Amino acid sequence: MALLAVKNLKKTYSTRFGSVKVNALTNVNFTVESGEFIAIMGESGSGKTTLLNILATLDKPTGGEVLLDDRSLLTIPEKQIAAFRRDNMGFVFQDFNLLDTFSLRDNIYLPLVLAGKKPAEMENRIQPITERLGITKILDKFPYEVSGGQKQRAAVARALITEPRIVLADEPTGALDSHSADALLEIFRDINSTGQTILMVTHSVKAASMAGRVLFLRDGEIFHQLYRGERSKEEMFAVISDTLTTMAAGGDRDE
Amino acid sequence: MNKGSLYPKLAFQNIKNNRKFYIPYMLTGIIVVMMFYIILFLANHEGMGKVYGGRYLNEFLSLGTIIIAMFSVIFLFYTNSFLMKRRKKELGLYIVLGMEKRHLARVQLFETLFVGLMSIAGGIACGILFSKLSMLIMGKILRFETPLGFSVSVLALYVTAAVFFCIYLLIFIHNLIAVGKAKPIELLQSGNVGEKEPKTKWVLTVIGTLCLLGGYAIAILVKSPLSAITLFFVAVILVIIGTYMLFTTGSITLLKSLKNNKNYYYQTRHFISVSGMIYRMKQNAVGLANICILSTMVLVMLSGTVALNVGMEDILNKRYPADIIMTYNDPGDGVVDAAVEEIKAFADERNVEIEQLDVVTDLSFVVSKNGDEYTGEKTYSADTSRIGIFDFVTTDEYERRTGEKLELGENEVYLHSDGFDFGDSFTLFGQELHVNGKLESFPREGENSAMILNVTGIVVSPETFDKICDLQREAYGDDCSNIKSNIYLDIEGTDEQESEIFQDMYKELSEKVSGSYVTEDGRTVELTFYSFYGECRSENSSEIYSMYGSFLFLGIFLGILFIMATILIMYYKQLTEGYNDKERFEIMQKVGLSRPEIRKSIHSQILVVFFLPLLTAVLHMAFAFKIITKLLALLNLTNVTLFVICTVCTIAVFAVIYGIVYALTAREYYKIVSQ
Repeated sequence: MALLAVKNLKKTYSTRFGSVKVNALTNVNFTVESGEFIAIMGESGSGKTTLLNILATLDKPTGGEVLLDDRSLLTIPEKQIAAFRRDNMGFVFQDFNLLDTFSLRDNIYLPLVLAGKKPAEMENRIQPITERLGITKILDKFPYEVSGGQKQRAAVARALITEPRIVLADEPTGALDSHSADALLEIFRDINSTGQTILMVTHSVKAASMAGRVLFLRDGEIFHQLYRGERSKEEMFAVISDTLTTMAAGGDRDE
Repeated sequence: MNKGSLYPKLAFQNIKNNRKFYIPYMLTGIIVVMMFYIILFLANHEGMGKVYGGRYLNEFLSLGTIIIAMFSVIFLFYTNSFLMKRRKKELGLYIVLGMEKRHLARVQLFETLFVGLMSIAGGIACGILFSKLSMLIMGKILRFETPLGFSVSVLALYVTAAVFFCIYLLIFIHNLIAVGKAKPIELLQSGNVGEKEPKTKWVLTVIGTLCLLGGYAIAILVKSPLSAITLFFVAVILVIIGTYMLFTTGSITLLKSLKNNKNYYYQTRHFISVSGMIYRMKQNAVGLANICILSTMVLVMLSGTVALNVGMEDILNKRYPADIIMTYNDPGDGVVDAAVEEIKAFADERNVEIEQLDVVTDLSFVVSKNGDEYTGEKTYSADTSRIGIFDFVTTDEYERRTGEKLELGENEVYLHSDGFDFGDSFTLFGQELHVNGKLESFPREGENSAMILNVTGIVVSPETFDKICDLQREAYGDDCSNIKSNIYLDIEGTDEQESEIFQDMYKELSEKVSGSYVTEDGRTVELTFYSFYGECRSENSSEIYSMYGSFLFLGIFLGILFIMATILIMYYKQLTEGYNDKERFEIMQKVGLSRPEIRKSIHSQILVVFFLPLLTAVLHMAFAFKIITKLLALLNLTNVTLFVICTVCTIAVFAVIYGIVYALTAREYYKIVSQ
């Protein structure tokens, strides 16, 4: 049984008066198995963000469905959707999305507080995660006091603390320098190795080369997919680059 | 495009694009200009001089002009600072796009010119339009006939235009300097500076608390009306300092201690609110303290002046217990009787019906307190805590005033004091007097009701009364006070008739019962102005109406101004809050907070932020209540129930206005946040 299944997903945006329709997603199908680390690649406008927003229940598709553990996200009542998102998904964003009124600790605690957990339990949970991410010492600092890499690690800690079924990451390395980006990707690989499912949207080849499987999105459809198999990081990097070149040259799909 | 017209066009476009901020700014301008014109118009209106007591009016209105001018400067600068904060990024962009600062200055010049001209012209137009209305309202309050017709005061027009031209010029210069000092990159980034979490300042919190408690304590503990005057200002200053300190540091201290309590803090409801509030208070504390102080001023001013005017009849009756009062100081034997006969004869002759005629006697003099000993005071030292007035009446007189009969032996007294504490007995000029009991109140009448020293009313038997008279005369010698005999006379007739009869009667009495006479103890007394004088209620009432009416008028006027300022501050606060919260709102949604939850949390925060000043203002008012009743007592208003009603009504009306404004501005806020 797949952890996440996306079937015939469609999303059409209309302009305000409905005269012009834009297809962001035309027909997307894929599944994610538990414990996978998947990267979705595509150029700007390929529908990456739309796809992620639908997976995150922040947006609704015009057609098709998304199943998490065989449960359709569309059937979740509006009232429970925030709680569902909180319990089952962890998010990492390009621009961190940390609240500047909270210290890093409180930012990480946020989903747990919303879920009504006790302070003692929260302390127990934060301990191992922050140690693994190397941010234990800066927990009481505020977002504007730490570097981008540290902010993103705090965001990762926030995503992990609820022990979600799946972590959704939107261009997590987009706002980081190359050193911090490498460190963050190592962290992603590390947490994936402990069984955490990760779905990452990116257009960084380097970021994608860390993943176990790469899906290529073009014009609202899955154009191609690549399995890592036994490839090393460098080999994976080369294959992804080649694929992107082929896509840019307008090649047809192959496998 | 013609280069000359570029700047005005750009300026106009800027104002149009920022209309959410500029419209209230211009409205503020229009309203303050209007109020300034109106009050200046009234102060200079020819008709005003002719009103009875018109000099009070002129004085008050001139005072009002200055106050309004001062507040106009404050309000306009305040709104302008909001505008500048919002627009820094835009100005930075212009610089980056290649505009030099002198070009920017030109854009700013046109902007200020446009806003200033609109405000001044609009304000004067509205002022002219409403000047007649305010004239009518004033006539109604002060009870005078307003002249027909419509007039425009050219002087007021020029002065208003000149004053506000200067104010806008100052604002322009201020903005120029602000932009001139800033670096383009600072301007561009001014929106995204990370807010530091404020620190807990225990010392300031404690000082603020002490100031506030001190102010409250003074307001509650004050006893005599005279000390109330000076202490009132001390209390006001302490409360203002306390309010500012507690809003700025106290609130943060409280919130941070809540934050440190983990079991409280880490609950969904408190988590977001507490941390949000810390930042909200940091940014808004001063603005909120301003709202609080302004609200308190509105409440105090309006409730006080309304009470004075509603209680006007009471006040008049207390100050002038009869239609006509003729007073003899230390009258000799038969003088008062002769006067009474004369009055009756006069009334017969003029066909005036006498409704009531009383002769009222009392003795009052200044004493100096030293423990339980009271002695004469000739130096009139400034130490008001030791100085007071003893007002003696006989048991008969007390019965006439209150209908209550008191039984007293020799050297026994009943008393009521505004300022002094009495034990079981005390000595006066060496004579020991026993306090039989304390009276709940002591009905003072006539002139004594206008005394500002603390007064002790003492009831004694007629025998003791005579004894006290002698002792007092010995102690003071030539400076002694005299027994005062007042003839209280109520007659039929309209105010004008009463006034006329009074004039004639006074003349008649001064001619017939005059000259000199020999007192009981053998002194010769000349009947001079001091030893005989008269007062007529209807004659003096218009002066009192005019005085208290101008209080009320100014109170209402300033009340409107302050309410407007409150509205303005609230509006801008909601707007800026909205832009700040928008981003936070989005993040929380992504992290797993539902829209209703966010709405609820933000709503409760805003509710606290905006109703905190109102609640504090009401609290201030509650504590100020006692000292204000003392001050009103100086103005002869002793009807506390009336003042309570006026206060409650004022608070209710104010709270409703406040609520409406809140609802309207909150809508604007939600629009921004949920865009």
